[in-house]
Amino acid sequence: MKHLFARILPAIALIATLSVGSASAREWTATDGRKLQAVFQGMQGDNIELKLQNGQTVSVPKDRLIPADIEAAERFEELGDDTFTKMSAKRIDQLLAQTLAKNGYQSFNEPLPDDLFARRIYLDILGRIPTREEFQRFAESARPDKREALIDELLLHPGFSSHLFNYFADMYRLHADDDFANGVRMEPYLQWWKESLRQNKTYAEIVTELVTAEGNVGQNPAAGFILRDAGMEFDAFANFGQVMLGIDISCAQCHDHPFDEWTMEDFYSMAAFFNNTQRTLGRYQAADAMGMLYSEMPNAPEGWVDEFRKFAASKGVDVENRQRGDGQTLRWYIDFLGWNVTDIENKEVPVPSSIADSEEKLRGEIFRPSTLVGKPAKQGGMTRREALANWLTDPENPRFALVIGNRMWDRAFGRPLIGPVNDFAEDMVAKSAQPQVLDYLRSEMVRVNFDLREFMRILYNTRAYQSISTFEEPSLADPYYFPGPVLRRMRAEQAWDSMLLLSEGPEIDSRVGRDGSFIRAVLNVDLENESMDEVWEKFEAYKGMRGDRLGSAVIEEPGSLSPGAARNNGLRASELAQPAPAGHLLGTFGQSDRRITDEHNFDGSVPQVLALMNGQVTQMLTGSSSKIASDLTDLDGPDDKVRGVYFTILSRYPSDDELSMGMKMMEDYGDDGVSDLAWALLNSPEFLYVQ
Amino acid sequence: MIHELLHSAGKSSLGRRTFMEQTAKSTLGVSIGLPFLTSPRQAAAQDGGGKAKSVIYIYLSGGMSHLDTFDPKTSSDVMGSTTRLDTNADPIKLGNHLEKLSSMADKIAVINSMTSTNGAHEQGRYIMRTGYNKRSTIVHPTIGPFAEELLGKRGEILPDSVVVGQNTSNAGYLDPSRSPLPISNPGAPVPNTSLTTDNERFSRRMEIAQSLGQKFTERFNYSGPKSYVEYYDQANTLLKSDELNVFDLSGESKREEYGMGRLGQGCLLARRLVEKGVRVIEVVSGGWDMHLNVETGLQTRVPEMDQALAALINDLQERGLLDSTLVAVGTEFGRTPNINMNSGRDHFPAAYSTMLAGGGIKGGQAYGSTDKQGKKVTRDHMRPEDFLATIGYAMGVPLDQTVYSPTRRPFTFGNDGEPATKLFA
Repeated sequence: MKHLFARILPAIALIATLSVGSASAREWTATDGRKLQAVFQGMQGDNIELKLQNGQTVSVPKDRLIPADIEAAERFEELGDDTFTKMSAKRIDQLLAQTLAKNGYQSFNEPLPDDLFARRIYLDILGRIPTREEFQRFAESARPDKREALIDELLLHPGFSSHLFNYFADMYRLHADDDFANGVRMEPYLQWWKESLRQNKTYAEIVTELVTAEGNVGQNPAAGFILRDAGMEFDAFANFGQVMLGIDISCAQCHDHPFDEWTMEDFYSMAAFFNNTQRTLGRYQAADAMGMLYSEMPNAPEGWVDEFRKFAASKGVDVENRQRGDGQTLRWYIDFLGWNVTDIENKEVPVPSSIADSEEKLRGEIFRPSTLVGKPAKQGGMTRREALANWLTDPENPRFALVIGNRMWDRAFGRPLIGPVNDFAEDMVAKSAQPQVLDYLRSEMVRVNFDLREFMRILYNTRAYQSISTFEEPSLADPYYFPGPVLRRMRAEQAWDSMLLLSEGPEIDSRVGRDGSFIRAVLNVDLENESMDEVWEKFEAYKGMRGDRLGSAVIEEPGSLSPGAARNNGLRASELAQPAPAGHLLGTFGQSDRRITDEHNFDGSVPQVLALMNGQVTQMLTGSSSKIASDLTDLDGPDDKVRGVYFTILSRYPSDDELSMGMKMMEDYGDDGVSDLAWALLNSPEFLYVQ
Repeated sequence: MIHELLHSAGKSSLGRRTFMEQTAKSTLGVSIGLPFLTSPRQAAAQDGGGKAKSVIYIYLSGGMSHLDTFDPKTSSDVMGSTTRLDTNADPIKLGNHLEKLSSMADKIAVINSMTSTNGAHEQGRYIMRTGYNKRSTIVHPTIGPFAEELLGKRGEILPDSVVVGQNTSNAGYLDPSRSPLPISNPGAPVPNTSLTTDNERFSRRMEIAQSLGQKFTERFNYSGPKSYVEYYDQANTLLKSDELNVFDLSGESKREEYGMGRLGQGCLLARRLVEKGVRVIEVVSGGWDMHLNVETGLQTRVPEMDQALAALINDLQERGLLDSTLVAVGTEFGRTPNINMNSGRDHFPAAYSTMLAGGGIKGGQAYGSTDKQGKKVTRDHMRPEDFLATIGYAMGVPLDQTVYSPTRRPFTFGNDGEPATKLFA
């Protein structure tokens, strides 16, 4: 379905409306000082292709340009030229400025100073504060284009996908905990998300793969999306509505929606897109718990389970003993293979009998698939789920691009244009404070082809984003006109990753935790074509890694089935277990437990405060062999040390008062003064906030 | 000096008290200490209900075998190695490992007619602790946060509910400040409550942090950072108060009597928390999923429970707290009457047992019954919803009061279950 994403029409339309004049072309400077107005086209070996204003394309050897321009060409090669990015950012600013003016604002908030910009952009893109060196490198650079260059640099950094993964992990309730998943191994699915974001797959591609996936998580890790809620199909659909369409129709599962327009017919008609979808094993687990016998595995050829069990018996497995030893492992393994998504043409799911008594007439009824909003989905010649994916990602779908665009806006500004992000009625769009901005975001999301990295690049380049956060907390009851972002508390993951950075340094960015590849390899079985010997080999590999170690197993050499254990300390939130293990600081700071969508909690609590006051990171940083004091030994003079502490923890310049207070502390207490100051900065609310 | 510099930073004009009154949030999950803000709607005591000021809910995770504990049978084909004990209260018969309880059965009521449709652990646990089926669109609160929502906040420094034997908790769709305080290991201190420096240096650090915090909250007028300033004050108060001593079991003379395992020590901690006025303490204890060798499992788990329950009930009675404290024992399901090929028992939700004592419950009763093989409930069916409604009834919770989730879905304590009023004196 790749062709669906190659939608060039909207892009052409935009080019027609925004003229690419000389003002939008970039100025390129040669080493001899000559300048050239041109748009970046691409790199050919050591040559940079530039399109001049007269339409002619020239090829310039890289080393003829100044270093800043070589660097720009290199990032454009990865991210694309930023001409449209900047035009789009400007357009957003214009639209916002209009509503600001209409509502009595002079303009945006004051521009954000460089130091605060550095901290915010590192937290927003990489999900952690900058190191002292990173901070100083940016703050002390005199380059006029240093902000756009930093935005691009960070968007290409591995931290970008790590931090974005945390967001989607909440939204899509990603977890690898058996309590939730009836025994489905979710590690390969989680890994699929990370890889997809790392490769910067478009959001439309991601959703299409999720919605249309078939097979088990070994064959197709994206199947985890549908297996996530096996046994709760209608709840799964209610989540689908919130996540994909920003519509919470869960009420209409049991009765017509009391506040919105949705009826039960709407709910069950839209849910019917999944009615052909079989998630197996279903009955098997319950039957097993009750001490009953195996049922046939629908995704396997007839008799496959019996045949494999016989084969295992011939290898000495006590297959009758399913509660211990190899017999138990075999049972689990077959179970995992069996968790599978398939489409069965004649399968239908009638309205369940658990609905409200008042709706009795609907019980047992079967609905035909039909869409809740927008145009009807084109069906025929494809599975229902393919039809659904096409309908969702169609540029004319009224909700899909809008919902994800509004969510990405919320990530950048700390407040969505329209909320809550997972439940807003269509008529709210027109009634919102900035319907034009919403419309524009929707069309931009389509123009960039659902490339979320490019979309965020636009937002981070707006004047609105690069403004000081609004000083007064805007009431949720009143419209907010975005003179700047709102003040936000760090997400739990940002807090954890930042504390980890303070204690371990930037090498945390490249550490990889469990990656699910081992599970994926042993479950990647072609039941139709693989011989019993081949499946047995995978079972044996699995058997060797049973238990807790499974989750953290990684394959050392691609293609081999010999696992090694991944390290589990000093890992960023995205590389830890999902969600973090019980009792982890991430939970204390409000990480979602991934049971329901968008459940991250931003509230403070005494345990959080106690962790900052007396916890591990604080001890390491400010305890008896204070890490911060030793990090700053190279700095001469108490003033530089005080600045060093501020740069390290709050990423900003101290005020004059703060500087003299800090210097006084160095004078009175020496290195203890450094530790005390660091402790105090870590324990002022400022640390936890993105301003 | 530093102090002068700090004080020259100026003080916030917004009264702290005003702020506190606007955001009655919670401290270790936990309170801000403004009981006057709440308006308890303690339902009038009726027919013996409403006496339980506190509840200790002992949750046996894994599925306790009803036949080997509170519902033993005479039929040898379902009983395995367990034998049936007569007790000092005629209607109650117990499995032979519940020896201590058998001599004080006049203080307990057993419920032999539990029945559920959830045969999987997580789903079973979920409904036994919330009264609702597990869904993927909402998380329901357990009894502690729900009771707090309906009856009002009670504690000042300590939270209204604590869960022992578990290291996470949540308040479901209710305000997160109502989350129970999780204590994973009874007897271990609350995490991060020991200072890393001497008091003087700590005060010095705190003072600088406070002045920075003040500047930040003056610059940004948001409730979030202000709440952190408040949480720092509370943490300070907490660290200096002796309320934390309640978690330190080292000086307790009755430790051995309760049993030194996690269940025994959890029950002891629960009693100490009841004395401090904590409303709901859940004590979670695992190891009951006896698919293999049920006999071996029973030999360790059941005597441990017997000892802990006997010590707890006696201790509460000696302290005059039994009438105002409900002790409840719950589990997700029973276990199969048939013993499987591994000498174990599998999951059995169709019929299982729970237990209640104190808090207005009339002792010496057996409520409901099962058939001769413990396979079917024969009278007074009690679903998980009814069990939770019965607990709520004991506490005087208004069971018919609807609470709305932020998504505007309606819920009641015990999910409209029917309280078993016959159980009350």
